[in-house]
Amino acid sequence: MSDNGERTVERERILDADPERVWDALTDEYVLSDWFAPGATLEPVEGGEVSFECEDGERTGTVRVVEEERELAFTWSRPGGGESLVTFTLEPVETGTRLVVTERALTGPTAMAIAGIAPGAVWSRRLRTLELCLGRLVLA
Amino acid sequence: MAARADTVDAVFSALADPTRRRMIELLAGRPTATATGLAAELPITRQAVAKHLAALKRARLVRARREGRETRYELDATALDEVERWVARVGAEWDARLSRLERALAD
Repeated sequence: MSDNGERTVERERILDADPERVWDALTDEYVLSDWFAPGATLEPVEGGEVSFECEDGERTGTVRVVEEERELAFTWSRPGGGESLVTFTLEPVETGTRLVVTERALTGPTAMAIAGIAPGAVWSRRLRTLELCLGRLVLA
Repeated sequence: MAARADTVDAVFSALADPTRRRMIELLAGRPTATATGLAAELPITRQAVAKHLAALKRARLVRARREGRETRYELDATALDEVERWVARVGAEWDARLSRLERALAD
């Protein structure tokens, strides 16, 4: 878990399925098209190509990490936006699988720890909201 | 879209500097301030303050306003709004996708 203030969105879900099924859902193009985005292609080998038809256009990228039933990572670029790294980590739990997904921006500076912004002011609230969105800022 | 990505990067870049974060903090505590006033509260020269203010202006985190012979600076929320929207949008995309994944696995 990085705490150096990178621009990252992170989500976690406990899924009612074992890691094998979750892994299939992440790497089988047919299943991916069902939940991720239509017309998904993903070659589950390092260096393999990925592409998704998202609402804002096609996103393409490259598979970076393939550790079966444990970790899958790929880069992708939004149309007109910067490149980011998407990482799924899977961990078996009693009731199924803990899935953590992070999306970390790779372009632009890996900015910031808006640390210790003065409490009380409206701006502080705004910056705290941003901190919560970013999820992992260093608090002084 | 490209403009939005630029704004997001500019804001993160501007906020990556601890002195500029401290200046944001000082400006958050008052309606407006002058470069001289900020310099009095920071261990840097007025010239250095002016340079940081220029960087914050470029990132659209700070607005300058002439008042008589003074230039007064105040926080500008526009850029931060865009960053918040960017982060919220990426987060919302994942929320929606993961809910669809849960449904797909339930079948």
